[in-house]
Amino acid sequence: MEEEATSAPVAAGTLREPAHRVSPRAIRMWTVHALIGMVLLLAGQIAWWILADDPRIWHWVVGALWLVLGGGYAIIMPRWRYHVHRWEATSEAIYTQRGWLSQERRIAPISRVQTVDLKRGPITQLFRLASVTVTTASAAGPLEIEGLDVQEARRLVDALTAAAAAETGDAT
Amino acid sequence: MSQPAAEQTIQADDSDWRRLDRRMLLIHPIQTLIRALPALLAIFLVRTGSDNSDRWELFILPLIVAYGFARWFTTRYRISETQIELRHGVITKQTTTARLDKVRTVDLTAQVWHRMLGLAKVEISTAGTKDRLVLDALSLEAGRRLRTELLHRAEGTVPDSRAAPAPTAQSPVDRAWPAPHGPPVVATGARDEELLRLELPWVRYAPLTMSGFVSAAALLGVGSQLANQLSDQGEIYETAFTWAIGRGLLLGAVLLLLAVTALAIGGYLLAFWNFRLTRNPLGSLHTTRGLLTTRETSIDSSRLRGVEIGEPLGLRLARGGRLKSVTTGLGREARGGTDVLSPPAPSARVQTLALDITGDGAAVRDPLVPHGPAARQRRHTRALAPAGIVAVGWAAMVLSFDWPWGWLLVSVLVLLGALALARSRAAALGHLLTDRHVVVQSGSLDRSRVVLDRGGVVGWTVRQSLFQRRMGVATLIVTTGAGRQHYEAIDLTPAAAYALIGEIHPDLLAQFPTP
Repeated sequence: MEEEATSAPVAAGTLREPAHRVSPRAIRMWTVHALIGMVLLLAGQIAWWILADDPRIWHWVVGALWLVLGGGYAIIMPRWRYHVHRWEATSEAIYTQRGWLSQERRIAPISRVQTVDLKRGPITQLFRLASVTVTTASAAGPLEIEGLDVQEARRLVDALTAAAAAETGDAT
Repeated sequence: MSQPAAEQTIQADDSDWRRLDRRMLLIHPIQTLIRALPALLAIFLVRTGSDNSDRWELFILPLIVAYGFARWFTTRYRISETQIELRHGVITKQTTTARLDKVRTVDLTAQVWHRMLGLAKVEISTAGTKDRLVLDALSLEAGRRLRTELLHRAEGTVPDSRAAPAPTAQSPVDRAWPAPHGPPVVATGARDEELLRLELPWVRYAPLTMSGFVSAAALLGVGSQLANQLSDQGEIYETAFTWAIGRGLLLGAVLLLLAVTALAIGGYLLAFWNFRLTRNPLGSLHTTRGLLTTRETSIDSSRLRGVEIGEPLGLRLARGGRLKSVTTGLGREARGGTDVLSPPAPSARVQTLALDITGDGAAVRDPLVPHGPAARQRRHTRALAPAGIVAVGWAAMVLSFDWPWGWLLVSVLVLLGALALARSRAAALGHLLTDRHVVVQSGSLDRSRVVLDRGGVVGWTVRQSLFQRRMGVATLIVTTGAGRQHYEAIDLTPAAAYALIGEIHPDLLAQFPTP
């Protein structure tokens, strides 16, 4: 998991990256997500410490692994994600890029867009962020942009809704 | 039970409401009784244990039967210009509506008791909702008329839908449903073109399909569990078992094979007996099939986005295949076999059928554009790496437990099997673009070639795992509102993937020009 890998997002192909990054505060949001996972794992270890009375050395080994792997994840994953996550919308199309180890780009014509959702979970709200989900007629592959600034997300939703409303047909 | 009053108000308010077929008065009480059977049994068991001599449970039976009747009296449906509406429920009233322009498929299913009385259950699926609107049941004729009318509403052949105030016993809905104006487009009419009909020799493909394989696996599972239990009982059983194996292995294998074959053939006949695929003058596809439970499915031509030619390993070895439709509006889950366009049948017939339906010979038959050396290498790594671990682990066990050296052969076979699988999977990968369709193919154990209408593509995903990035390949996922909702072209070069997107949606990539 070397840092250099972050400098090579989805191989270039013949399409450039989407133009806009998400909010830098998304790094903190993803870090909190990672830390929550770590805390849950720690709770498991505390329970193990209290309930079992096998040699303590194993508890320290697992604890050390937890610190190194979990800590590494909490430090690397959010920054890598931020480096990858990008989006761009025009009046004709929407284009997103996301992921970290596994990365993907999604492109859909606005004419095929069916719904545009803005979602704000508790952690997302904490950092004044929002995620925008754009669905098409396909049950597979909604386009999701995580970690957008709330104001920017609202503008995007309005723009997409207006563009999609201009289209006719049942988009299947 | 105040249904006479309810009936009056309904008749006074709107005379459009229609009921299910009267013959359901025979079926509903029996169905209700069967459903209540466990509860009845429980009551009976409790009562035999008590010394109370009041026989009040005798009243329960008529109540249940009355409830069954009430189901018929409380179920009504009507069809307006824009929607079909179903009201049902004895205790809780439920109203289900579906917009007519959203109707995707109409299925007629007749279980044995339906068939004895000439009835059929009508299931209507609509776009956007998971629920189906179910009319259980109408007379077969009425069901067919309803289907024809629902599917061809778009063509402007909308009949006047007034219910007769007092339907006759003979054919209640026939009178209520005048024949459509214009050309008769009853789905099973004389002008329909027959595309495929089951030929009995095709049952030879039955044991080669997954369902046959599953029954075999189930039988084998039971057998091996038995063997394990026996060998746990100690040495006597073990020697007896070894002896029996020596004597009976061949016989057992033959019996097992016969049993699997019989099961598979039985299943094939139950599902596909009398299979017939027709196309009516308006282009709707229509299948009829089934031995005990018969099914009729209609797919409106405007819902069809392509076909999927399936050639799983077993069928492929016997030069067989099968065809499914790729249709919009059905969710990924709610589609119990409604997409079947052909039973397992000879490959050549399946291809001809696919050609007939898509009208695109290149998409069905032409060799595909292969995905190159990186894709080939990845198929080998992905098959051989896990097989290698298994083979080495097995070999280690053989050596450490001093088993006979012959057992090492298993490791070799595992590796050879993985190699064959990798080669076959690599050979399967490919895509093709014709002027009307995009074609993708993948898989070995379950190989499928999907011919998807260009117009059915609603979006694109280009996915790269860490390993794919290192190898310079990507998986192109075509998303669509039809069939499995997404189809994958695995391990293309990114350049090829974007070229394909550019071919189908040229304006899309132009939206994001390189500065």
